[in-house]
Amino acid sequence: METLMVDRVRSSLSQFMHRNAIFLCERLCAEFPSELNLQLMATCYLRNNQPYFAYHILKGKQMALSRYLFALSCFQMNLLREAETALCPANEPNSEIPNGASGHHLLGLVYRYTGRRKLAKDHFMQALVIDPLFWAAYEELCALGDAEDANECFNDAVSVRIHLHSSFDSSSQGFDGASEDHNLPLKQDSSPRQSKQLHSINNIPSYPQSSNCVPSNLSLYNTPSPPVTQLSGTVPPPVYRNAYLPAIGGDGPSKPNPHATIQAPRRKFMDEGKLRKVSGRLFSGSDFGTRRSTRLSGDAMTSASLHVSQTGANVRKSSALDAPWFQASNAPSLLLDGGNTEQEKGFPQSSGALSHESGVNGAKELLFLLRILGEGYRLSCLYRCQDALEVYLKLPQHHYNTGWVLSQVGKLYFELVEYFEADRIFDLTRRVSPCMLEGMDAYSTVLYHLKEDMKLSYLAQELISIDRLSPQAWCAMGNCYSLQRDHEMALKNFQRAIQLDSRFAYAHTLCGHEHVALEDYDNGIRCFHNALRVNERHYNSWYGLGVVFLRQEKFEFAAHNFREAYNINARSSIIMSYLGMALHSLKRDDEALVLIDMAIVADKKNPLPMYEKANVLVSLERYEDALKVLKQLIEFSPRESSVYALMGRIYKMLNRPDMAMFYFGTALDLRPPATDVAVIKSAIEKLNLPDELEDSL
Amino acid sequence: MATEADGEEETAGKLSGTQNLAVDDDLREMAKKAAWSVSSCKPGNGVPSLRDDNLETYWQSDGAQPHLVNIQFQKKVKLQLLGIYVDYKLDESYTPSKISIRAGDGFHNMKEIKTVELVNPIGWVHVPLSGSDPRDAFIHTFMLQIAVLSNHLNGRDTHIRQIKIYGPRPNPVPNQPFHFTSKEFITYSTISARSATPAS
Repeated sequence: METLMVDRVRSSLSQFMHRNAIFLCERLCAEFPSELNLQLMATCYLRNNQPYFAYHILKGKQMALSRYLFALSCFQMNLLREAETALCPANEPNSEIPNGASGHHLLGLVYRYTGRRKLAKDHFMQALVIDPLFWAAYEELCALGDAEDANECFNDAVSVRIHLHSSFDSSSQGFDGASEDHNLPLKQDSSPRQSKQLHSINNIPSYPQSSNCVPSNLSLYNTPSPPVTQLSGTVPPPVYRNAYLPAIGGDGPSKPNPHATIQAPRRKFMDEGKLRKVSGRLFSGSDFGTRRSTRLSGDAMTSASLHVSQTGANVRKSSALDAPWFQASNAPSLLLDGGNTEQEKGFPQSSGALSHESGVNGAKELLFLLRILGEGYRLSCLYRCQDALEVYLKLPQHHYNTGWVLSQVGKLYFELVEYFEADRIFDLTRRVSPCMLEGMDAYSTVLYHLKEDMKLSYLAQELISIDRLSPQAWCAMGNCYSLQRDHEMALKNFQRAIQLDSRFAYAHTLCGHEHVALEDYDNGIRCFHNALRVNERHYNSWYGLGVVFLRQEKFEFAAHNFREAYNINARSSIIMSYLGMALHSLKRDDEALVLIDMAIVADKKNPLPMYEKANVLVSLERYEDALKVLKQLIEFSPRESSVYALMGRIYKMLNRPDMAMFYFGTALDLRPPATDVAVIKSAIEKLNLPDELEDSL
Repeated sequence: MATEADGEEETAGKLSGTQNLAVDDDLREMAKKAAWSVSSCKPGNGVPSLRDDNLETYWQSDGAQPHLVNIQFQKKVKLQLLGIYVDYKLDESYTPSKISIRAGDGFHNMKEIKTVELVNPIGWVHVPLSGSDPRDAFIHTFMLQIAVLSNHLNGRDTHIRQIKIYGPRPNPVPNQPFHFTSKEFITYSTISARSATPAS
């Protein structure tokens, strides 16, 4: 009865019938209380978006998978400390992190959000070691700014460490009888089964051993749905790739899990790989909202690589992406001492050799893709935007034209202040992938800068209709209001975005900018600090803090903050100019000039550093040089009133009232705002005084 | 509701109201930074009614003339425009007719800078605070005082429905001698921060 119930629960889960699953699972737990069943129950609740329930059920449980699921629930409920203790108990510093790569990834996320970067980095790296295809871990490393070269990380050598961790255990079950029939395709069968079995060492251990060596008919029945659905060719959302490798027909390793996990490291290197779990990867994305797409695309690739050859269920011809299955297929047989059922015999050897061959090919292609994407992402996190763009262009066309890649490219153009290009790319993104939300916040800022209020409000409306609960939609809305100078409404919208996802750093930054626009500097500072707490490398917030301090005339602080921003993004000419401005205010004009010159070189199209340079030169009384710079600037930007006004001022100081008059007049013709009009006019008045004095004499 | 009272004399200093409050883009409302007080008021019709953006509520004075509205800032600010909403049709003898505007550092040294006369006004009355000299587009002051010297039909107390005070926007790029006007300058002047619209 138990296996029947478990099977039903699993199949309900894979079919998204949560209520059914929860109900049956509760009956299961009532009838056969065991930690394994509790884990299944927790899974049901996690799938149903009720992490608190899973938390309650698994509190205190010590099995590896339980600890992992418990930590996951804690993470979703933002109880980071408990998550940490579950994954890495304080009094057992050397205990194995449950769930291999995924466990390390989750732990890394916990450390990241509690501000311990080094530890976070270690764990993400470890996750990558265990599973070289773990894109999310690499992404996190990039975000921390600490990723190593993608060519290193995803080079072909690591393909030996790639194994299929599939939830194909079930499929293997189904293979019982039929496996003999197929030869080549089946080699993989054994592998998944083996892997599954190994997994099951890790995972929910097999259910009552008695039912393990199940007669084939039952095992056919019990083919857990998750793999079946996969077999049907659709790539199920990662969440559905069940972690619960059914122990059904879990021939073999009905070994108690804890032992297995602890034993794992001692096994051969290759076995270790097998102990990774798909489920971990499934739950890996921390930003469930924003990274969903990445996760999906990442996992889609891996799931595609999972071959499923199966018997009873649909046959899916293995694609070329045969992961190097179990080169160590020999090893599993070692592990599965007792458990091996008749199906396994005879398979391991042959399948091992064969699968290895084809497996490596598939991995190589996947690694090739990941190398490009990884390198591109790494460079974009280091703000080496031009380089990143070049890297992305190396992708094959059909990969380039996907939502994730295009939105990354769009963001790169945004960082390069090439707003027209960015607009074009983001527009393309929306057409290619209308539901892609990641990066749309940057798009809304691009439209804000281009002053396209129609497009911006349209974007905001669309995003909200796609997903009312996404922070990007509300950021876009906020930008809309901000463009219309309604800073209070803008602020409300950004705060809404924060409420929806407090880990979305950009929303905090935008809030900060709105506060500054409303001249509420204290709140602005607070918001920027919040943003930095979420993501220390959000240079925009450092910049925002610098601007606030500049306004408050706390020049030392301003310089410090601009420098932090500069350290993160050393290519932005705007940051360099501002740092120069701050240094100039601190009277460190030589350093200021150095930076300003760098800024001029960094971006020829940016007029600001040249203007700043003129300012600095004026205060250094190098009037002729200043005039030279300004004349250059006129060629570049002929309709800028402030340039002429400054020139007028310089000529006045050089005691050439005629030229001064000319330039002041030009400045006024360009209709500056009223404050400047007043300043210029009073300057003109003062110009005339010497003439009047002469006249009266 | 209100239309410009046509045919009314609009000499310098005599104003009627307009329906809409037309304010330049480069001005912003300064009232939030100020402490507001009045010389007297009827309970329930006090300062909040002057600032609540609701034209139905009004401030009603309750004492001897002149009735005063005092606006005090923490530091010297530039003020450019004053907007007062009054309605002769609704308020009749409570409608102010002669208003004196004074500025200074505090109650002890207020100096009159402007006087306006209102003739049957309905709607917003724009009072530019500049002197006749274009150089004085702003007044630079700690405190502004609006004194209602007399009302229509010799009413004793006065109703004012809303008051708004405007000053120039600060330069979005701090520490610059002049504002930026062209698109290129403004695009590059900030990173996704809120900036001013360029003059076209």
